[in-house]
Amino acid sequence: MGTVNRDDPLPVAVQTVPAATARRRGEPDDWVVTLTTPGPARDAALRRLHDLMVRAAASQVWRMRGALPDPSAHTVEDLANQAADDAMTALLGKLESFEGRSRFTTWAFKFAVLQAATEVRRVQWQHREVELRDLEVEAPAHEGPDHAAEARDLASAVELAMRTVLTPHQRRIAVALLVDGVPIDVLADRLGSTRGALYKTVHDVRVRLRAELVATGHLDATPSSPSPSSSAGPS
Amino acid sequence: MTTSPGARAHLTPDAVDALLRDTSPWLSCEDCFERMDTYVEALVADPAYEDRAMAAHLRGCPACAEEAEALVDLVTGDLG
Repeated sequence: MGTVNRDDPLPVAVQTVPAATARRRGEPDDWVVTLTTPGPARDAALRRLHDLMVRAAASQVWRMRGALPDPSAHTVEDLANQAADDAMTALLGKLESFEGRSRFTTWAFKFAVLQAATEVRRVQWQHREVELRDLEVEAPAHEGPDHAAEARDLASAVELAMRTVLTPHQRRIAVALLVDGVPIDVLADRLGSTRGALYKTVHDVRVRLRAELVATGHLDATPSSPSPSSSAGPS
Repeated sequence: MTTSPGARAHLTPDAVDALLRDTSPWLSCEDCFERMDTYVEALVADPAYEDRAMAAHLRGCPACAEEAEALVDLVTGDLG
């Protein structure tokens, strides 16, 4: 992982511009209509939108540059441009779904942020092996007599619950994402899955573990705790 | 990609916290993405704004949480 020099200059795409001049200069009144009506106004709107997407993507890559093997300004700009292009494609494919419940630029930025963040995580892990492993827990680090005993007790209860209420697949996904810290979209890519599918697995893991630990008295039941009926045994 | 039947893992306090995090009510990553723009604008307009499902999802999904924080920064910054 590369080191970040806080004194590095911001890439051009991330440098701030005077708000009064940058704020929606040249933006159409109705983005969707303009972007779907052939003509010079559409071409101008596409250029303006692409410029905004590059800036949003660059901002995101810059935020996460500490995770990059090479966090240079050149790398940030390359990743930002690639992410912006991909985000533009995704956005234009979903243009008809924009319902005007937020400002168009806010709606557009989320595509750039998602694409840029996913790209940074992919580059961060591109040369790293991802191991899907089952659980074999070692005792937690010693942090003092009382605290360590309490932590060991809870960790042991969680380990037991993982063995009794989770499937092997659920354990491997949970260990990869929540113990080993593999980013969810990296794991999804390696498994040929999706972020949403893996998050559903993790959600089910948490529901089952919480229900089991409430039942064994290791966790307080709260109003938002899962109901017993929502946590079936391993499938 | 490798699969190991018995590699050793450490359940650190952070791992235990992550495993036991309460992420109910359920919201998918796809629905989180769909709502993110309106959620962020509502949150910027009123920091006390609550969406229980979004909040639960962002507690449990670091990737979506990072992207929501970034969108807040964009909306409140010069690009907003």
